[in-house]
Amino acid sequence: MFLALREIRFSRTRYVLIVTIMLLVSFLVLFVTGLANGLGNATSSAVRNMPADHFVVQKDSDDRFARSSLNSKQIEEARAVAGTEGSEPLGVQMTTVTKKDSDSKIDIALFGVRADGWVVPKAVEGDTLTDSGKGRVLADRNLAESGVAIGDTIVDTATGMEWTIAGYTENQSYSHMPALWMNDADWAAYRSELMEARGGEQDTSYNAIALRVDGDQVKQLNASLTDASVISKSQAIMAIPGHKAEQSSLLMMIAFLYVISAFVLAVFFYVITIQKTGQFGILKAIGAKTRYLAGSVVAQILVLSIGSLAVGVALVLVMKAMLPAAMPFSLGGDTILLSCGLFLAVALIGGLVSVVKVAKTDALDAIGRAGA
Amino acid sequence: MSTNTMQKQTKDAAAVTSASAKQQRTGAGTPAQPAQAKLRLSGVAHQYGDGESVLNVLDGLSCTVSAGELVAVVGPSGSGKSTFLSIAGALLTPSSGEVQIGGRSLAGLNARELADLRLHEIGFIFQGANLLPYLKVEEQLRFVAKLGRADKQQAARRADELLERLGLTARRRHYPDKLSGGERQRVAVARALMNDPSVILADEPTASLDADRGRDVTRLLAERVKAEGKAGVIVTHDERILPYCDRVLRLESGRLRED
Repeated sequence: MFLALREIRFSRTRYVLIVTIMLLVSFLVLFVTGLANGLGNATSSAVRNMPADHFVVQKDSDDRFARSSLNSKQIEEARAVAGTEGSEPLGVQMTTVTKKDSDSKIDIALFGVRADGWVVPKAVEGDTLTDSGKGRVLADRNLAESGVAIGDTIVDTATGMEWTIAGYTENQSYSHMPALWMNDADWAAYRSELMEARGGEQDTSYNAIALRVDGDQVKQLNASLTDASVISKSQAIMAIPGHKAEQSSLLMMIAFLYVISAFVLAVFFYVITIQKTGQFGILKAIGAKTRYLAGSVVAQILVLSIGSLAVGVALVLVMKAMLPAAMPFSLGGDTILLSCGLFLAVALIGGLVSVVKVAKTDALDAIGRAGA
Repeated sequence: MSTNTMQKQTKDAAAVTSASAKQQRTGAGTPAQPAQAKLRLSGVAHQYGDGESVLNVLDGLSCTVSAGELVAVVGPSGSGKSTFLSIAGALLTPSSGEVQIGGRSLAGLNARELADLRLHEIGFIFQGANLLPYLKVEEQLRFVAKLGRADKQQAARRADELLERLGLTARRRHYPDKLSGGERQRVAVARALMNDPSVILADEPTASLDADRGRDVTRLLAERVKAEGKAGVIVTHDERILPYCDRVLRLESGRLRED
């Protein structure tokens, strides 16, 4: 630390420049991470926040709820293994609604569930879902941004059915649409109206089954279910339309930023270390150990990285506070810590080349040299 | 103490030690003052290369430097001065022969132990001062004390004393790039003395200085070597500083010869 800090003090400009670069990179890393999380929530939070660990979907549905349809026989089969406590039939339908007496259309994702079942999300405002409340639904709070308040009535454009918003939940969206939760009676009614409108078959009552099961039960279910399979929650999330495409491109950006910062640091410290080879030779000659000198390089990297991360995090938090609420951006404390940890690790990996160079420097270089 | 009397006294001492060194070389008897011999090389040989093209740089070199003695080693370039200094400075292990520093043999020490020995027993003064550009004068001294895990207050006192002795007190908070060449080399002398080593090794310390400053630095170095009882060795081809040295040894065909 003694050498590390004094050298930074002496060559201020040089180190301010590298800190600025690292600061910008770490800001970008945190910002894109926040965006990826926010978009991930927008596409999947309704499924992600469901207290289920597996789902049953129809075979050949590509794990997509909307493409899957399950009949009552399959639901009975699932219930036979997992029980009511372990399985909840789930109706999923994307549709378009309008607020009553208004023309502007809103895309929503309908979820039909048993009102007293364990998949129903908590209401944070207004009333929760009940069996008796016919036509009363629970909506994601984002719907409020479209001007739909508690007590308002919305009309489904496909069937003409009307529902009243009983309450709001939070963090329940699906494929960038706010989720709307209704009880199974309403779901059945909607379903038959929809089938009638489309002229389809009557028996396909639900799309998926949410499961809370252990590994053995998963095997049992896979064996006993006809024309259906069990998928994990992450498989279900990855299959949500748009989720994989968004996440993989953002993840690639984040990964590249880490790689870039590793290289920038590696090059910077390597060049500086090469410049100081003479000094390291002298220091080794007067008895400094490689470990001390390597520790000094590492200490410098840590000081610079932690400094730029601190400013980067502060900037991102300021940015977060200034972003409009509709912007899908989500950056929790644990994500910030994880990103910072990764960034530090990457910085240290970048500094490794320099440490090797320091270790290889020979004290003998000090003799017969004119200057360091 | 005037330079004249100093030289006279030390010449006598030099005579004694060179005699004892000669005894050693022939293998007859033990050295006269074992506690006083701070640096001893006996029968040191070193070769570079292997197979057909072997270059014998040092060939049975022996010498002894006692406490309070400043010895100059001169010789044409290519005569092995750097190799001699590297071996005496525990930076290079000779092909054969023994090196003792502060009464301790270097044989069988590993790299870590050698580094420790260099830190505590040897003070190096390099050609171009080679101070760390980003440390202020007093930090240069504090740094080597810190490397040697010295007590902080003691180190501060030692640094104060050395800076005063070398006339650097007013410069203590300056960076090396604000110092003159002579001042820089004086800081290097102070740094070499900081950890109170047995041996001071100087590699062409006056090469980058003009005559006056070169003499100045050498005089101060000789003064400290005497006052603190160090064994001092200056490798040089600067004839002007030889009067400050107690003995002049010439490196020729791999051996040291009294001039």
